[in-house]
Amino acid sequence: MEVTVKVNGERWDIDVAPADVLLDVLRERIGVKSPKIGCERGDCGSCTILLDGKTVRSCLVLAVEVDGQEITTVEGISYESLSQLQNLFLSNNAFQCGFCAPAIVLSATELLDNNPNPTRHDVQEALAGNLCRCTGYEPIIEAVLAAARGGAK
Amino acid sequence: MTTTFPFEAETDSDELKTVGTGAVRIDGLDKISGAAEFVDDMDFGPGLLHAAIVESPHAYARIVSIDTTEAENAKGVVRVVTGKDFPYKFGMYMEDRYIFAQDHVRFVGEQVAGVIARSHREAVQAAKLIKVEYEVLEPLLDPKSAVADDADLIHPDLGSYTHVPWFFPKADTNIAHWRKIRKGDTETAFAEADFVLEDTYTVPRYAHCAIEPHVTVSKLDHADRLTVWTASQSPHTQRHLFAEALAPLGFTHKDVRVITPYVGGGFGGKAGVSMEILGAAMATLVKGRPVKLRFTREQEFYNTYQRQGVVAELKIGVMNDGTITAVEHKLYWDAGAYVEYGANVVNAAGLSATGPYRVPNISNDSLCIYTNLPPGGPYRGFGYSEFHFGLESHMDRIAEAIGMDPVEFRRKNAIVEGDELSYGAHMNPSGMIEAIDRVAEAINWGVEEESENPNTVIGKGVACFWKAPAMPPNASSASFLKFNEDGSINITVSGMELGQGYLTVMAQIASEILTVPVEKIRVETPDTDRNPYEWQTVASHVTWSSGLAVEKAAVEARAKIFDVIHQVYGYEDDSLYLENEAVRCTTDPEFVKPLRDFVIDGIQTEEGTWRGGPIIASGKFMPEFTNANSDPETGQGGHPNVHYTVGCTGVVAEIDKDTGRVWVRKAALAVDAGRAINPDLVKGQIVGGLVQGLATVLYEDMRFDEGGKMLNPNFTDYKIPTAFDIPDEVIPIIVEVPQPDGPFGARGVGEHTMIAAAPVIANAVYNALGIRIKSMPVTQEKIAMSYLETRSG
Amino acid sequence: MVIAKEFEYQRPSTIEEAAQILAGHPGSARVLAGGTDLVAWLRDDAVAPDLVVDIKAIPDLHDISLEGDILHLGSLVTFSDLINSDIVHERAPLLAEMAETVASTGIRNRATMVGNICSAVPSCDAGPVLLGYDTTVHLIGSAGARSIDINDWFVGLRETARTGDEIVSHLTMQVPPHGGVYVKLMRYAGEDLAQAAVGIVAYPGDQYRVAFGAVAPKPFRSARIENALQGKPLDEALIAEVVAMVADEIRPIDDIRATAAYRTRICEVMLERGLPAARDRLNGIGPAYGTRLI
Repeated sequence: MEVTVKVNGERWDIDVAPADVLLDVLRERIGVKSPKIGCERGDCGSCTILLDGKTVRSCLVLAVEVDGQEITTVEGISYESLSQLQNLFLSNNAFQCGFCAPAIVLSATELLDNNPNPTRHDVQEALAGNLCRCTGYEPIIEAVLAAARGGAK
Repeated sequence: MTTTFPFEAETDSDELKTVGTGAVRIDGLDKISGAAEFVDDMDFGPGLLHAAIVESPHAYARIVSIDTTEAENAKGVVRVVTGKDFPYKFGMYMEDRYIFAQDHVRFVGEQVAGVIARSHREAVQAAKLIKVEYEVLEPLLDPKSAVADDADLIHPDLGSYTHVPWFFPKADTNIAHWRKIRKGDTETAFAEADFVLEDTYTVPRYAHCAIEPHVTVSKLDHADRLTVWTASQSPHTQRHLFAEALAPLGFTHKDVRVITPYVGGGFGGKAGVSMEILGAAMATLVKGRPVKLRFTREQEFYNTYQRQGVVAELKIGVMNDGTITAVEHKLYWDAGAYVEYGANVVNAAGLSATGPYRVPNISNDSLCIYTNLPPGGPYRGFGYSEFHFGLESHMDRIAEAIGMDPVEFRRKNAIVEGDELSYGAHMNPSGMIEAIDRVAEAINWGVEEESENPNTVIGKGVACFWKAPAMPPNASSASFLKFNEDGSINITVSGMELGQGYLTVMAQIASEILTVPVEKIRVETPDTDRNPYEWQTVASHVTWSSGLAVEKAAVEARAKIFDVIHQVYGYEDDSLYLENEAVRCTTDPEFVKPLRDFVIDGIQTEEGTWRGGPIIASGKFMPEFTNANSDPETGQGGHPNVHYTVGCTGVVAEIDKDTGRVWVRKAALAVDAGRAINPDLVKGQIVGGLVQGLATVLYEDMRFDEGGKMLNPNFTDYKIPTAFDIPDEVIPIIVEVPQPDGPFGARGVGEHTMIAAAPVIANAVYNALGIRIKSMPVTQEKIAMSYLETRSG
Repeated sequence: MVIAKEFEYQRPSTIEEAAQILAGHPGSARVLAGGTDLVAWLRDDAVAPDLVVDIKAIPDLHDISLEGDILHLGSLVTFSDLINSDIVHERAPLLAEMAETVASTGIRNRATMVGNICSAVPSCDAGPVLLGYDTTVHLIGSAGARSIDINDWFVGLRETARTGDEIVSHLTMQVPPHGGVYVKLMRYAGEDLAQAAVGIVAYPGDQYRVAFGAVAPKPFRSARIENALQGKPLDEALIAEVVAMVADEIRPIDDIRATAAYRTRICEVMLERGLPAARDRLNGIGPAYGTRLI
């Protein structure tokens, strides 16, 4: 089936089978690698993308469903320059292995877009669907709160 | 005191510029921008084949027949593989494993056959068409049953297996290795002790749950060269094991190349070789085409290494003044179906099962026992988390029984520099007392806290920890270093960036010596063709070992730089120093020669000829004071461990009396890093390790059914921490009692930070509610129901 | 990742069209809304339909609106929509409280509350809460429109009163002044399915609806507990009386998530803490919605 979708600002017209999962199509057909395969059940969050501005688990979306929609991943966010949030993640050494990082950037970006003054609890809530095995989350949470405060550490 | 530590580098100034700072990770930008490439992100073109694995549904069975005909004829299938294609044994410390099962399957999930197809879907569909007939046998699912006299032998040929000389398998039993420590006279010591406490603690299996699943792409090219791209902690050890396992096919090390990019979390699970051998072996049958094998999360749970379970029988004797006089610690390890790596966990635990204390009389046994469960292997902590649960719970119980404060009791017995270890060698310098004191202060130990919530009670707990790297005595690291035209540096090592910040730390070490800023130093991920040897990135040893190798390479580069300057300008080497990427001279303050001017091109002399050229260097480190000699019956006589890292953990926990829910309000963790080369990264290990440790005690809960099948191989039912499941406050405390032979005094901390998390919670629960839970996990359900029992009398 | 068995896909533009398509594929078609259940089941090989019918192109199914005391919720309203809705926060904040316990943001942005009650797993979060209101499920099938009272909706284990060619168009709920709680037993602070759950709605005049989730094949109300509470002001003795009834009302199982004994114990605790909280919220006091009681 023909699907037209915008990915990080670029239009794609691709032919997919109904059983093709969006995560696979993004990674293998469109070549966007930042959404990761972690659990294939929507439990780990590492496949997160922004679909029309909202975070969704791309492992639980069929490619055919997104005809006419817009997808943003961290490559799109980073394209011109790093966002302030990304710079704070960097300067805070917030990530370790980095596998969950792209997804967390998106979840945190969605939070700050909708709620410029989140509490610590709000940040935890926004990130609760993104599993990170390395960091214990504390430096990530602190970086997001710092971004909300306008970059002051 | 007893040995001469081999190497100490100097820097040209007393004040360190990079070492000791929280430098920004050099891989940070890659990871934050989406640029970081992991194995599954790599593209191999339209010719990439995909593999799927057929697995045993039985924990123990004889394979009667395998019918692959339908699968072979299925659409898209290129090749079908079974154990017949690879009838060879291999293994890291002991050769007890097969690539695909041969006559028997020994755990649910064991690989029986494989399908290689043109698409992932076709591989999965064809795998379902393979018919395997089994004769089901009665499995052994716990270590005590497996060591019973009449137990079936899971490995009847154990007596003939090749293994490292410091393992002691018992032929005709299920005991693959038995580490014994006998020191002093425990019988008399117990008889004369004022108080003896004896009890049993049970710790089940755990899963690493790195968010990146295991994955491998393998290709045998038409010149018979095998390249394997893996998410591995150990590219050189993998190359070694691939070469050994595939030696019957004619491979030696030069024929095998392993490439490892960033790894999405290891925690030990990506050390050694687990599923990668399947991909590598299958590739040899489809020459010229790359084959990808990526494990699902379910396979990740049940067919990659698990953390072994253990039944710990512990007996400790003390005098009334709190002096520990005797320890008898028997560890019965549920080591799984194959123990080629896991047997070393058992060994490591056995050498150190006294815990970080001074103990004159010891009788410890650590038994590696085959069971029909997934193979146990390396997991952060390497056996130490497992035995610390019982040990540190026991310490609290003894302290209470003799009327002594648990912190005081630990202080009194804490091992210090020079004390004798279980196996006869001596303890390295370490800040155990400082760690205990600073943790106790951080959690306001001794002051009881009242909860404002009528439903909850507040309790406090402390627990100490130690660990030494568990390695062969000749585990080594090496490094190459070269300059570029702009004065930047490339360092090649084969240690792995798992997230711990290894690449950054290596850059900081080189930066300190060569005065090139960290931002201008690239440390490249391994390719066994190009990067020099590193044993493995495990054991919390690479900061120390690879750090020494990089330090030596940097020092050699510096020497070569000074040599060129000396040749051209005549200054004596000992008058030269580096500052801000330039050579300076104490006897000629005007002299400034920027590195970028000559580190490739060399320096032109007055005659117009040139001196120098590319500055390149190398360094290697292998400890020369360790040995694995030991008396099999007593464990005495060797020096198996390079040094110990020590520390202490303390928590303030709030517990709901009715639901058993535990909130960790405050946690303090002190670890003696020797020197924190990057304190930010050390804090990262403290927070991350603590949270991982707390998860094992509070809610990670692996379950098997009576047939040995894992019931919760997914994140829905094997819970790992989310952003909500962290302490309200973590106080990281870095103690720095230098490691004399460490780079700038550093020693490793990566594993240690999770070791005491389980007992510290058990102790806090006891402190709050008066209930002592002796089996992990200490879930809210266990707490609530135990407490309910005590209340209803 | 891969879904092994392939299928056809259609995306109708009206609900009537969707119903006709389902009628034409009896037993072999599945409705796709948020997909957070269905796509996981497809990948696990738990279901193997020949056809998936995506209803997300059907207009008018996203509405949240209020008419007097009747709340109208379109069947494509997601859990995130509930959390972000001013109407819900003003008139039925309990829905938002329950929605926040469902998985995580990335799931809630897709998962629909109606999908939750159509999947009807025993631990479905929406069940115990919707049972606390006068809720009606409105469907369109090939034979026309139908309405089903929520008390008749859950028929058995993963079984609802919906027939094969019916599509839920919307829910209507009576939302007069009330207070409520949704208390959910989870294994930790992070996202989890309910091991046990209690939904309580307190209405003026000491009227309570008390429903349990995850402790029986389907979510259900306890008539016995509700009758015992009817018209009597809550006090310690009354609460103790109904807490003592819990063990006989529920039928929890032992599984890897929790034992029946613990589930029972926690249901008692949830009821004990939940009743005063629901009453207090009815009276404009009590813990803020979203506060965890256990």
